[in-house]
Amino acid sequence: MRLWLLRLPLRHLTEFPGRTLLGVLGIALGTAVYLGIALAGESALESFRRSVAAVSGRAEWRLSAPGAPLPEELFLQVRRLPEVRAAAPVVESVLELEGPGFGPVLLLGVDPFAEAAIREYEFEGASGGRAALEDFLARPGTVLASEPLARRLGLTAGARLRVTAGARVAELAVAGTFRAPGGLYPLEGAVLLMDVAGAQELVDRIGRLDYIDVIGRLPGEETAAALRRVLPPGVEVNWPGAQARQMEGLVASYRLNLQVLSAIALFVGMFLIYQSVTLSVVRRRREIGLLRTLGLGARQVLALFVAEGLFTGLVGGLVGLFLGLLLARGALGLVTDTLTSLYTPVAARHLSLNPQLLLQAWALAVLATLAAALVPALEAARTRVRAVWFREELEEVLTRRAWRLAGGGLLALVTAGALAALEARALPIPGFVAAFLILLSFALFTPVAALLLGRGLAPGLGRFIGVAGELGCRYLSGSLSRSAVSIAALACALGMLIAVAVMIGSFRETVNLWISRSISGDIFFGPAVFSTAAYDRYLPPEIVAELKGDPEVRDIYLYRCVRLPFRDRYVLVIGGSFDILAKYGGMWFRQGDSVAILQEMAAAAQAAPPGDAAPGAVIISEPLAETFGWREGQVVELPTPSGPRQVQIRGVFYDFRTDGPSLWMDLHQFRRYWRDGHLNAVRLYLRDPGRVQEVQASLQARYGGRYRLLALSHQDLRHGILEIFDRTFAVTYALEGVAVLVAVFGIITTFLVLIIDRERDLALLQAMGASRRQIVGMVLVESGLASFLSFLLGAGAGSVLSLLLIFVINKQAFGWTIRLFFTPGIYLQSLVLVVALGLMAGAVPAWRAVKPHLAHILKEE
Amino acid sequence: MIELSAVSKTYRRGEVEIAALRQVDLKVQAGEFLAITGKSGCGKSTLLHLIGGLEAPSRGRVVVAGRDLATLTERELTLFRRDCVGVVFQAFNLLPLLTLEENVALPRVLQGASSAQAAAEARRWLALVGLAHRAAHKPHQVSGGEMQRAALARALINRPAVLLADEPTGNLDHATSRQVMELFAALHREQGQTIIMVTHAPEAAAYAQREVRLRDGRVVA
Repeated sequence: MRLWLLRLPLRHLTEFPGRTLLGVLGIALGTAVYLGIALAGESALESFRRSVAAVSGRAEWRLSAPGAPLPEELFLQVRRLPEVRAAAPVVESVLELEGPGFGPVLLLGVDPFAEAAIREYEFEGASGGRAALEDFLARPGTVLASEPLARRLGLTAGARLRVTAGARVAELAVAGTFRAPGGLYPLEGAVLLMDVAGAQELVDRIGRLDYIDVIGRLPGEETAAALRRVLPPGVEVNWPGAQARQMEGLVASYRLNLQVLSAIALFVGMFLIYQSVTLSVVRRRREIGLLRTLGLGARQVLALFVAEGLFTGLVGGLVGLFLGLLLARGALGLVTDTLTSLYTPVAARHLSLNPQLLLQAWALAVLATLAAALVPALEAARTRVRAVWFREELEEVLTRRAWRLAGGGLLALVTAGALAALEARALPIPGFVAAFLILLSFALFTPVAALLLGRGLAPGLGRFIGVAGELGCRYLSGSLSRSAVSIAALACALGMLIAVAVMIGSFRETVNLWISRSISGDIFFGPAVFSTAAYDRYLPPEIVAELKGDPEVRDIYLYRCVRLPFRDRYVLVIGGSFDILAKYGGMWFRQGDSVAILQEMAAAAQAAPPGDAAPGAVIISEPLAETFGWREGQVVELPTPSGPRQVQIRGVFYDFRTDGPSLWMDLHQFRRYWRDGHLNAVRLYLRDPGRVQEVQASLQARYGGRYRLLALSHQDLRHGILEIFDRTFAVTYALEGVAVLVAVFGIITTFLVLIIDRERDLALLQAMGASRRQIVGMVLVESGLASFLSFLLGAGAGSVLSLLLIFVINKQAFGWTIRLFFTPGIYLQSLVLVVALGLMAGAVPAWRAVKPHLAHILKEE
Repeated sequence: MIELSAVSKTYRRGEVEIAALRQVDLKVQAGEFLAITGKSGCGKSTLLHLIGGLEAPSRGRVVVAGRDLATLTERELTLFRRDCVGVVFQAFNLLPLLTLEENVALPRVLQGASSAQAAAEARRWLALVGLAHRAAHKPHQVSGGEMQRAALARALINRPAVLLADEPTGNLDHATSRQVMELFAALHREQGQTIIMVTHAPEAAAYAQREVRLRDGRVVA
């Protein structure tokens, strides 16, 4: 096509800057949300990958026990092995720095002499690096702060830091700072180095190591194979980067869900472009006819309209990239907070600008625009030369096609149902396709719904409001070419909003129910900074002994949890006092009598001799069952520090913890497998449950001075869980808000164009004696009805979609069974919001339509 | 040059069939200036559209410059409209977002001329119709007569074999109409341009060499 001809679409775009801007903004917002979420997710993970790389250094292999520390002696054995060139022992834990805004810090307990071969640090102190190192080695309780941490907190040699380690508070002295090679630090530089012996004492791990890093003498896998031959059972040899891969597996569903939700905004943006190009085709049918008369070919017409969409896509995409970068900064905080509270401490302060992601977002914007512009552009190209003189013909065609489109919608809905029935694990791709098909089907129902609503209401509204009511209805059903797409776009955005709100509402209610049915106990007592990501924070053992003798306490449930790397993900392994659980109502099982199962498991575990090799009994969470397709009665092999163990699944229980799938066993059995006497927390059952507050206060008085511990009542726990829940879904709501905003743009544009387009009709009505009030009334009836129709379709789409989200997508992505709870509030709120917005969108052009320049409008052709 | 044999055209509007032309036979010689007259709805414009290849007859043959339009493919028809026919409309139909110069240059651009060449030719044609000083103006910035003269320049820039004019003075006042018709007459006289003009104004028809009158879709004189 001749470049000269591009003047036409360009002039149209520049001649109506307001409309062009709305189109550009629609695509820009969609792109920005998509890119922002993708960049934030990627940056958080990249930061985690960098952490892993920074801690790994030159290590080729990492020795660790599944979900447990290693005995210290192993380091000496490993170092002496002929296959090993260098080895370094590491104790690793996350401490909490006390002070406003200080947050988590990674403690690495290292042996500086063994370290040199694996990681190179540069030390710096008040009197030089050597003095800092000497202090570090000689004085207990001394740490080196990473250079970025020291800079951020203004730490110098001699500074003192208060930290919480597990349940204890400790004070550490800063001997100096260290710099890591290449400026790579875990947790964005929040790192303290300590001598390995000091760290063992601080984090209650005397005689134990978290892992040993190794450089081998043999190439590649040969060292690992040699090590596996000589290492005792229960010790695993892994590539250090495996940790990052397991974390990626853990958060994959979370990221995919965000990504898909963010794509919805782009999807709604596509409707805007489709609508904008359609309106352009409708408005310019005369121009198309003229160009075809002058000899412009059908393909050139197609190219002109595609080019118009493409310009919008290119510019909107670019603006979207810029906005996306800004948005990513905001979203980064939300995403890292969520990842930290749900999975693992992640600190990402800087965006990783992945050019591939930027290009991908831009290409997506352009492709989405092209796809959206193609349909109306094809329509323009197919137009017969002379037919273009009659706009009404298009309306006739659309009216005739309305039923066929509705048939297409029905087909899309049936296909969605078939896709939803397909089985998928972890990544519910068919489910997401089904979600888009559901939105598409309701979009295709729009023309028929507008026809029926307009025709059905015309007589009634005519009687009730008069001619304005009747004409408003007629215009709604008679201007499908202009309004149907906008109605569909708003319906899609509303549908998503309603679906997500119903899903979240049902989810919240289900979690509430789950807390009541599964979590018994009056007080939950454990380390103050106990998060699911910190399993090495223990309850001091003397406290348990004291609590057992407390007259207020009737029973104590003991709890121990480790995070086990299993296949390509993490599984939580939990040991608990099953006899106590059984006594207080058990758990919420998918099938079977939970009390009987738990009693039987507790009795068997307590009676088993220490070296018992018979298969143990476990219960697993529903997400674990869904992840690996495990069923009740199945026997599976579990890696443990005492070697692989056969365990039989006795029951599957509902579980809504977000930190991954879990496997539970009686504490006696756990201790046989893990050879670990620690406890992370306890639940207290009081003799008098009415005295919860008094007991909480007395626990605080007894232990508050010595330890950082937290005593939560059942109600506190419920609040805490629901608070995390609400925070997690804050991003989701924000995303849906953007989609609705984009759709509202669409409605405003439509009504502006609709009225400008109909200026002549309206002037004629006024010339014939219609009052301004009637004209404004007519436009408002039309815009009000259009918004109401968007609501009706959106509510329908949203309800179907919420069933898909609840029963298919969530089940496949996270393995959660959510019960459907009806939430009428969201329907009412959307109705009020959308009708108010629709009336406002109609009010401006309605006012414009009654301005007194009738003669001018009527004369103009 | 132009030959219509037993041409009929019917339109369908819902259930109703409307016959716009019935069994029309017409011959137009090269260099002839023909006026087609008749009341509104008698089929004048339809006849013009059939000759211009803007639509196809329901029955009969339309041959223009030796080409039977029914045998042409869509692409050939597009080329025919571009290279052989120039059209002037009652409502001018200039593209509102292009300047007069760009409007006039458009058919040459579609023909493949370079932008510079098309612009130069457009300026020359605008000068010929007395609009050199309006080249950079957009249609809404000029008068009706000027718009129609610009439309004439656009119709002629490709030197079409036949110029079709559909009520070219329908939207103009008396004085402006005369100016525009003088231009048509000069074009015919000095350049031998074949012109077929639809009009219901006797003053305009008086400029033509021959007049064909239509009534209810039939040629009556």
